[in-house]
Amino acid sequence: MPVIIDQEKCNGISECPGEGLCIKLCEKGALEEKDNQIVFITEKCDDCDICIQNCPSQAILKE
Amino acid sequence: MAVVKREGNEKRSLEHKNQKCLGCGICTDICPTKALRLGPILPIARGILKSDFISIDQEKCCLCGLCSSSCPFDALEFCINDENTKNMNLYPHWNHYATIEEKECIYCGKCAISCPRDAIHLQRNLPARSDLVFGETEVDLNKCVYCGMCEEMCPADAITIEKNEISSDKPYVGTSTKIDESKCIYCGICKRICPEDAIKIVCTTCMNRDNAKPHPVDGDIILDEEQCINCGWCQEICPVNAANVKKPFKGNISFEENFKCKGDSCHACEDVCPCNAISIVDNHSFINPKFCVLCGACARACPQKGIVIERDDMELTNVRSKSWDKRLNSLKQSK
Repeated sequence: MPVIIDQEKCNGISECPGEGLCIKLCEKGALEEKDNQIVFITEKCDDCDICIQNCPSQAILKE
Repeated sequence: MAVVKREGNEKRSLEHKNQKCLGCGICTDICPTKALRLGPILPIARGILKSDFISIDQEKCCLCGLCSSSCPFDALEFCINDENTKNMNLYPHWNHYATIEEKECIYCGKCAISCPRDAIHLQRNLPARSDLVFGETEVDLNKCVYCGMCEEMCPADAITIEKNEISSDKPYVGTSTKIDESKCIYCGICKRICPEDAIKIVCTTCMNRDNAKPHPVDGDIILDEEQCINCGWCQEICPVNAANVKKPFKGNISFEENFKCKGDSCHACEDVCPCNAISIVDNHSFINPKFCVLCGACARACPQKGIVIERDDMELTNVRSKSWDKRLNSLKQSK
């Protein structure tokens, strides 16, 4: 199931309390930074949900 | 390190010691005023985030001390008039422990290697090799050509050839060949490889059977109770049953029936486990209950909520208040 980044809650990596924690935690490299925003790469995701559980802004969810 | 202090009829203080905290969250479950908050244990355990496991809301904390009594790992110190409640007869006591019997210990060091908290320190005194093997060595320097074969072959690194920096006025390679008898085991390899028959080795160990008494190894084995979390590694790995561990909880750890573990993609459980009880095997979490203290950190960290902790009994006694007993017994409910 694809992961969705709630752009209203996620204010970009520069404002993230975890300084891009989701990117650091993802073992599959399914989250990347592009122009201070989080980009999700569906093909790489293994649905482990670590990003969802650990996002300090609760900005990551599933469809 | 979070501290709450207040003075009224009594002076009360609560101190969280992060270096002892496992991030299990037992205290946050127990706190009646929700004053304790557990931080993000996975990023902290992975070293991505520098933060204490627990934060305390000073406004909400009523300094009751329940959290301190609930923590099996002594990470919360609660004092009344500067006296720690752990030393007071009126407050509950944990009875779990770990000991290593020095009398039984053979100083093999397996416990020190396997302890996940580096809580065991071993220092041992081994006998000299010359106490265990006997013999004689002789190098005939008139025959020795300093080829270095003996030095290269010696399994005990007992042979040294002093080399000469070769020049027109010193046209030779070596100046001496020495066998260090504190290292030599009289195996005779040097004698057999020597192309010039320059080495004599006589092993007299068998003839000296009476002198070759067993030399018991002595030493010190120290269990640092400040670091120990009673996980049971030392007890399981000790070959002579010198280690005894009583864990804080009895019960089971298992997986939810339809648990789809993400294994190598996730390994959150493995990373947060303070006991090294979890590894990822064949892309699935593998938990060895022998090393588990049922703290529940893994169950909390698992994003799939696939780990079940069931605590049937706990080593907490002297709970004198009924309301405290009810609250503390809630730890026995499965998580």
